[in-house]
Amino acid sequence: MDGPLPSGATTLSAVPVGGRAVVRALHVDEGLVRWLRAVGVFEGQGVTVLRRGAFGGPMHVRVDSGGEFAIDRALAAGLEVSEDEARG
Amino acid sequence: MSDDAEPRVVVALVGRPNAGKSSLFNRVTGGGARVGNFPGVTVDVLSARMRHGSREVEVVDLPGLYSLTDGDDDTDEGITRAWLLRLAASGARAVVVQVLDATQVALGLRLTRELAALPLPVALALTQRDAAERAGVRVDVDGLSADLGLPAVSVSARDPAARGAVLDLALAAADLDERARPAPAWDPDAVAAHRASRAKRDGPTLTARLDAVLLHPVLGSVCFVALMAALFAAVFLVADPATSVLDAATRRLGALASRHLASPTARSFVVDGLLGGAGTVLAFLPQIVILTVAMELLDASGYLSRGVFLVDRALRAVGLSGRAFVPLLTAHACAVPAITATRILRDPRERLVALLVLPLTTCSARVPTYGLLIAAFFAGRSAWAKSLVFVGLYAAGVVCSLVAAAVLRRLVVKGKPLPLVIEMPAYRAPRAVDVARVASRAAGRFVKEVGTTIMVVSAVLWALLTVPVPGRVVPADATPSQRIEASVAAGVGRAIEPVTRAAGFDWRINVGLVGSFGAREVMVGTLGVIWGIEGADDDPAPLASRLREARGPDGAPLYGLPTALALMAFFVVACQCMSTVAALRRETRSWRWPVFVVAYTYTLGFGLAVLVYRIARIAVG
Repeated sequence: MDGPLPSGATTLSAVPVGGRAVVRALHVDEGLVRWLRAVGVFEGQGVTVLRRGAFGGPMHVRVDSGGEFAIDRALAAGLEVSEDEARG
Repeated sequence: MSDDAEPRVVVALVGRPNAGKSSLFNRVTGGGARVGNFPGVTVDVLSARMRHGSREVEVVDLPGLYSLTDGDDDTDEGITRAWLLRLAASGARAVVVQVLDATQVALGLRLTRELAALPLPVALALTQRDAAERAGVRVDVDGLSADLGLPAVSVSARDPAARGAVLDLALAAADLDERARPAPAWDPDAVAAHRASRAKRDGPTLTARLDAVLLHPVLGSVCFVALMAALFAAVFLVADPATSVLDAATRRLGALASRHLASPTARSFVVDGLLGGAGTVLAFLPQIVILTVAMELLDASGYLSRGVFLVDRALRAVGLSGRAFVPLLTAHACAVPAITATRILRDPRERLVALLVLPLTTCSARVPTYGLLIAAFFAGRSAWAKSLVFVGLYAAGVVCSLVAAAVLRRLVVKGKPLPLVIEMPAYRAPRAVDVARVASRAAGRFVKEVGTTIMVVSAVLWALLTVPVPGRVVPADATPSQRIEASVAAGVGRAIEPVTRAAGFDWRINVGLVGSFGAREVMVGTLGVIWGIEGADDDPAPLASRLREARGPDGAPLYGLPTALALMAFFVVACQCMSTVAALRRETRSWRWPVFVVAYTYTLGFGLAVLVYRIARIAVG
């Protein structure tokens, strides 16, 4: 795990629908970090937010490697991202 | 070289979930696979032996996994990892063939890198060639193979030539010396970027267009509910004729047995005890098959993860995640396959809670009793009112299981649930042959698993309902209802009557409850015997009117609406099913949780029955 989320950091949960960002750090439990990296959400990976589930439901994202995932909203709040400079 | 000199080659198919592994396995094996008997493996690992050229090959389909480094031993990751490590240690001639989705090369290569670190030969079979072409993805297979130092082919599971291609690849790789292979030093993303090109596409993909509707907050939910309703309708409407056919076959067998057995006791044991049990198992089989086909279609098409996405928020409120919807849905046919389906829950605590509440969902074994009670005590109401009661009972099952989950999560299995991370695969058209194979395996498994328990339970119940209470002599010409009145079950029924009176249950209902302790579906038949009505299982109407018109010694009706509602409440909650108990024992590897389930559901069920009876008595006046 990458320690606690630095204050003021942008997280995946804050990326608007249609927005794109690059994962910088995973501030979640170690077990979850392993699982996220295994399925395909890891540092340096570009992520596009496709939609958000109603009433605080999961986020639907596409990663640049070609996979799409549903990620719990609270978990997404622990994924630090930076805005993608090469916005495409 | 002679056959003796060539040892059998084990070909282990490994891949990420949704990579198309099972389709390829079916293509390679031609469907002749059986559930392999591997020590310490609790899930179905399919394997098939065959000859390819002069070589003997055993192809094994291991559970899908994302990574070798993650997951407890009970999860798919853990099982596959342990299996591969054992294979490497066994010294057998073996090869790992990774099934890699050509539309997700970069993700697949992360697993390849882990596999290549194992002391086993590794080869790659790139699948989903058609989907990749549609998505504009071109993979340079030879270049990829050269970069990785691993043999690779590109195949499509829909193409019959895939069989030879995969087996040739596997055998060639098995003959390579993996010790000569350098440690994997390549970067998955760099290799993928170099060897897999993605053409720019115009407009959204089919998956994106479908998701715009199916995951829409309103439209998507409507579609989801409609799909589930259609699924239930199929389970009931399609399964019913099939059940009648199987039922008629069992009865014909019973008639045949009756003719050839002279002793009435032997005849009763074979017809009521054994064939009755077999008939019950067969009666549920069509529903299990239909539900399995439906679930497999949902899964193989990619919709199942969309369902998980849609219901995750709601299930999170009761301490479960969206994934739990799969076992909860399955449990509406039968809790036993649903208990197996909980293996998709990665969080062990969530899985335990799901196991504990599954018996509360309305399985099909409850339906005959509900039907009888509705026919008996809602006879004067409209068809709409009757349907409403029926739907209400289903809803009660759902509400009870969700409330129980929320309570158990707070009191018994504490801790925060593991947050949801699930892959949303691209939509695909399922192959009929793959679906059919899954369904036939599910049917075989159900007959074996539930069948064994029900047969034993059925035989024991027959004894309880036949053997008289010690000291009582039953005349040889006694009617079946006189016999049952003298039975051990009736003795128990009378003994507990002072307690069950609180819920309006007399000794006769108690006999039915004793009879349905092991399998709730025998309730109607047992009540039929008590009231001297034959064939109540097939046509409950005569028994229903008998129950309605039954009078006590004082001439007052023996049962009324309050008793019927109380009995329904009891049936909603109580885990009257030894097959479920056996499955819980197997999955939790302890007696603690099955005993807990029986204890809490019986206590809660009876408490609820008493409450409903009291309230209904006041309401009815």
